Amino acid sequence: MDVLEGTAWVFGDHVTTDQIYPGRYLERPLEEAGRYALSGLDEDFAGRVRRGDFVVAGVNFGAGSSREAAVVALKQAGVAAVLARSFGRIFFRNAINNGLPAVIVPDTSGIRTGDRLRLDLGARQVTVLDTGAVLPVINLTGISMAILRAGGIVPFTEARLAERRRA
Amino acid sequence: MTLTERIIARAAGRSTVAPGDEVWATVDLAVMHDSSGPRRIAPILDRLGGRFWDPERVVLAIDHFTPPATLTHAEIVGFTRAWARERALRHFFDGEGVMHNLLLEEGLARPGMLIVGADSHTCTAGAVGAVAVGVGATELATILVTGEVWLRVPPTVLVRFDGAMPAYLTARDLAMAVLQSLGADFAIYRAVEYVGEAVEGLGVDERAVLTNQAVEMGAKNGIIAPRFEGEDRVVAVDAAIDLSPSVPEECEAVHVFQVADLSPLVAVPPAVDQVRPAAALEGITLDRAYIGSCAGGKAEDLRLAARVLRGRRVRIPLVVTPATQQVVRSCLADGTLQTLIDAGAVLQAPGCGACAGLHSGLLGPGERCVATVTRNTPGRMGHRTAEIYLASPLTVAASAVTGRLTDPREVL
Repeated sequence: MDVLEGTAWVFGDHVTTDQIYPGRYLERPLEEAGRYALSGLDEDFAGRVRRGDFVVAGVNFGAGSSREAAVVALKQAGVAAVLARSFGRIFFRNAINNGLPAVIVPDTSGIRTGDRLRLDLGARQVTVLDTGAVLPVINLTGISMAILRAGGIVPFTEARLAERRRA
Repeated sequence: MTLTERIIARAAGRSTVAPGDEVWATVDLAVMHDSSGPRRIAPILDRLGGRFWDPERVVLAIDHFTPPATLTHAEIVGFTRAWARERALRHFFDGEGVMHNLLLEEGLARPGMLIVGADSHTCTAGAVGAVAVGVGATELATILVTGEVWLRVPPTVLVRFDGAMPAYLTARDLAMAVLQSLGADFAIYRAVEYVGEAVEGLGVDERAVLTNQAVEMGAKNGIIAPRFEGEDRVVAVDAAIDLSPSVPEECEAVHVFQVADLSPLVAVPPAVDQVRPAAALEGITLDRAYIGSCAGGKAEDLRLAARVLRGRRVRIPLVVTPATQQVVRSCLADGTLQTLIDAGAVLQAPGCGACAGLHSGLLGPGERCVATVTRNTPGRMGHRTAEIYLASPLTVAASAVTGRLTDPREVL
């Protein structure tokens, strides 16, 4: 999972979880979440995004409600990583906890929808393949990276519990 | 250490912590509701062995899908109820109100606690001097088993309100003044602590508005140092913790507001930080008015609205959703409900109501509503083209009387 390549879908600042997964779909089963990904902003997004694509945004992506369906919807729709200047903190935790890289890139303004990107989590950088521009990644260290590498908080906790039983 | 750091240090079993430290901390309370709770966490809990680390520290409230408006809602509520009974959960609230408000009313949230909850407005409980943070459902499931949460210690931003509160302002106006001047992202990954004369004079209902709105500023938690006099249910979780307010030198930033300079405010859609004086928006006509939610459906909110509505009639439909059954009881006893009903308000059952965008007064395409709900993001209360203007209960009541956005001073 350390190196991912995908096409960028660019959104603006302050995209909220109400826009990523509108409240009226909360009663639907989580298995269907992907159909409604980002439907509060773009009703066609879920139909057009391809597996492995990246969502790129400005500040405070995923602000608002704690609904985990926002992360699950993006993952199911095929989104492989979310790059933003900053995240709503619960969205960030939900992403890491579900094994979806939520990557803080201090300047995303040079990325356009359709750009091919390479995300290297080990080297902690994003390359815009068409221009060669290299953007640093400033998060994903320590515990959050350990949870991401484990595949999410559930496998991570299973390993911790097993470790405790052994101790 | 700041107030938030002292509380996290105790929960982490450390003598000190500093901003940026990553710690594992033991929680005092883990809370969830019918939307984020059993239906989402049950399969994960089973995978992790299914045992709570401490059932006495688990709280579950049915507040989102109640009263059920559809058969799907009824199924979710039924599943949640059966799950709570099967586990003989002691702190289980079945349609008695919004979880965040119940924690405060029932004295479950106490000063000095570390509280985690599967809801973004979990931060509301900071009103009694707790560190209360929102998490997602999957993470909550892991916490229910281990009792532990991973935290990065946040720097504290101090927000000080100088001067006494005038009768035309409420805590909601103070929160909107902060959002207006600092924006919806100034506090990302930070703790927001409120201090100052205006805050010290507020009761828990009004304090809860300030801490509730911390998440709209991007904060990890909102907190106010507890006031012990006269609120005997509010007893610290640990007598050894210093719960005094943070001193400015320990904080990352200090922002000072002069209350006398503020006027009643409105947050204009589509964002919580697009804030303008109500008086500057008086040309905007409205279709509906709504009083409710964990931010704006408490007893104090209904009393503030009643102050405006006494002897007046609303010109547009005004729906009132009390946050809890206890709000209904207390506002029935003191005549507040009579005043609201006489003015033409329509009462609904307690709970999250239309603020969760699920039922009980959703907005249709293009409908314009003034409301005390938590946030005004597109689609929050129904259709994405509906417009939600956030305001204090005074401003909502005054606007319901005139049918357009109105500074309450015009009516009071």
